[in-house]
Amino acid sequence: MANSTVIESTNNNELKKQSIINMIRSLLPIIGLVAVFIVFNVLTKGNMWTSRKLILNQVYVVLISAVGVFFIMSMGGLDFSQGSIMGIASIVVCKLSGVNMILAVICGILAGAAIGAFNAYFYVNRKIKSFIVTICTMFLFRGFIKYMASNSPVAASMKVYDYDTTAVKLGITIAVLAVSFVVFRFTKFGIHLKAIGAGEKATKFAGVRTDRMKFFIYVLAGAVTGLAAFVNIVKNGSATANVGNQLETQILIALVLGGMPISGGAKVRFENIIVGSLLYIVLNNGLIMMGLTTQAMQLVQGIVFLIFVAIFADRQSLSVIK
Amino acid sequence: MSEIRLQIKDVSKHFGITRALKHVSFNINKGEIHALIGENGSGKSTLTNSLAGIYQKDGGTFILDGKEIHPINQVDANNEGISIIVQELGTLDGLTVAENIFLGHEDEFVKFGIKNTAAMNKRATELLKKYGFERIKAAEMIDNYNFEDRKLVEIVKATYFNPKILVIDETTTALSGEGREELYKHMKRIKEEGNTVIFISHDLPEVLRLSDTITVLRDGDYIDTVKSSDIDEDGLKKLMVGREVSGEYYRSDYGEPVSDEVVMRVRDVSVPGIISDISFDLHKGEILGFGGLSESGMHEIGKACFGASFDREGSVTLADGTKINNIPTAIAHSIAYTSKDRDNESLVMNQSIRDNICLPSLKKLSNKLHLLSDRKLKKFANTYAETMSTKMQSVDQFVSNLSGGNKQKVVLARWIGKDSDILVLDSPTRGIDVKVKQDIYHLMDKMRKDGKSFIMISEELMELIGMCDRIIIMKDGKINGELMRDKNMDENVLIEKMV
Repeated sequence: MANSTVIESTNNNELKKQSIINMIRSLLPIIGLVAVFIVFNVLTKGNMWTSRKLILNQVYVVLISAVGVFFIMSMGGLDFSQGSIMGIASIVVCKLSGVNMILAVICGILAGAAIGAFNAYFYVNRKIKSFIVTICTMFLFRGFIKYMASNSPVAASMKVYDYDTTAVKLGITIAVLAVSFVVFRFTKFGIHLKAIGAGEKATKFAGVRTDRMKFFIYVLAGAVTGLAAFVNIVKNGSATANVGNQLETQILIALVLGGMPISGGAKVRFENIIVGSLLYIVLNNGLIMMGLTTQAMQLVQGIVFLIFVAIFADRQSLSVIK
Repeated sequence: MSEIRLQIKDVSKHFGITRALKHVSFNINKGEIHALIGENGSGKSTLTNSLAGIYQKDGGTFILDGKEIHPINQVDANNEGISIIVQELGTLDGLTVAENIFLGHEDEFVKFGIKNTAAMNKRATELLKKYGFERIKAAEMIDNYNFEDRKLVEIVKATYFNPKILVIDETTTALSGEGREELYKHMKRIKEEGNTVIFISHDLPEVLRLSDTITVLRDGDYIDTVKSSDIDEDGLKKLMVGREVSGEYYRSDYGEPVSDEVVMRVRDVSVPGIISDISFDLHKGEILGFGGLSESGMHEIGKACFGASFDREGSVTLADGTKINNIPTAIAHSIAYTSKDRDNESLVMNQSIRDNICLPSLKKLSNKLHLLSDRKLKKFANTYAETMSTKMQSVDQFVSNLSGGNKQKVVLARWIGKDSDILVLDSPTRGIDVKVKQDIYHLMDKMRKDGKSFIMISEELMELIGMCDRIIIMKDGKINGELMRDKNMDENVLIEKMV
């Protein structure tokens, strides 16, 4: 009897240790966000706080498009074509903004969804790994963008500036986040997504139409980024040949900074999107305010990214990145 | 004879919070076949894997022939004279048979930094010939061989250098009669040469027949070591479970009529290259068994009935006329399926018990707005996990940390929660201990009486004879006979039709 109680207590201690580690892991991004925010405010002597509106202005696009990628990564996929989707959709929005603003928004979303469907076709129907497909489409559509916007940027109608208000941009962002949060957290959609990430074959055998789901998610992610393109154009007024460049990396870094395991699965949390995007933008702006060069910033980003991937990687299921 | 080969002293090992071995100590002698038995999760494989360098023990010592050893990997253990045949597939894809046999010992064939492939193949061919496995070609890719042949290659790999200790972990269940006989032969040879075999199996008659000494583990604790000649099956079960296991193992009824009501009609089902022209009816409240050799195609029948076969022809029709052609339709019409490949097809491993149990029932658990509540999911999962008396800390625990038997309980809990009427169970008791087996049999019997129908596909003939109303025997992808429940049925009748 005495022996078994000893074992019980060691078990409990181990359990406690485990749950403490888990808690630290889940709190780390939030602690990081607060810490980084305080540190930069001190270093810039409050400059960051004064320019908070400017900083917030940059977070919308990343935040919205990160939602789609979050869904993709939950089911263990990756998407490197987000920047190109953003570029194409931005050009569509610009071109149509003179005709009708609602039409522009809808066509931007459709353009994004179409590229998403293109990705999905090769990933789901032709069974090519998602990161290979999306790297290919990244270059393919980047080529289109250069072709269309190299000589001169595609300018939007002046009417878009009417929408350049915090209410519109914040409104769209909050609406996208709120709807996706409810759907992800409180419907079978979220459980199915995570299950695909944790074990696709078994999920299929539990009756989930996994192929249909994967196809839909890529289309959805494209559409969401298409919507973000509208916010992007409202903010910038035109689409240059570099529009949306490196958005995919920004999203990826933001999600990982938010504590997202890179292989998806059961451990993803919706909070990853919000905390991660904020942390990324604060870090970025802080470094700019400190006077770092672009090259030095990429260096710092690379290091921070590596550290976070190392912390949050779910090593047991790393082999399942699709 | 009773000279000590291996002393196991105070060996402990834990995985995260699970303590798999708790200060285990006992001795293993030279020239004996020493069986290691215990329920799932009792620590048998953990102990032998630590000995063979696959895991690193946390504490204690292994003393081999008076010398303390600390194998850090399998090659190291090989060099100490310990080899292992593991439970799952232990050969590597993309290498030839010869390269697999000499994995980690390539140096023997390397001269001036260049590998002499011809010499390696020649040596491998000689070995294969010596073992009587001529049909396996040394230079061929291992990928071209089936599970069973690959196991035979593992036998060669593990025994050709006359190891001091050979560990055989639950290998016989993967082998057909012929492969088993071959393995038994080599076990005896090793024993007669004065070396030692450590043998892990759930098949107690096999254990009693083959081994000289038996050590029982339970929940990571050492229980006892007994002479095979001094104990019988019931005695072993008692040691394993820690209490008397009642004799009522299988169903006890005979001659009960089965309902005429057909719940599933299977007609002319073929899956190219696997099964052809399979037709049968499943009745309400019936347990219909499928037996045969592993490659007879019987496992595909389960998938075909569940709509999970690729390229299936023919029809699977339910009583109400519904055709089953895909998994979602099958589940929506109350069909359940447990796969032989539990870890890949039945369970989402890196997912909580909760989500695994709720997965097919999410529609039922959603409210009118299609919303789910955590509390409701947790309650649902808890109810059915407890119905199956699953050993767990909470339903939030990941399935990957459970033992084989408990994993199977989670699978069954899922389908009982879905309230399935037709249960297609492929090897439901594979690698599962006596206690959980008995639970599953009792559950099947109870559900049968409630009008649920079963298709039970199994490689264990005793289980088919004990549980089924009707047994269909498969051979080479076709039905090769049908037998009704009979008290006096014996294994040989079935075996005759299988081979």
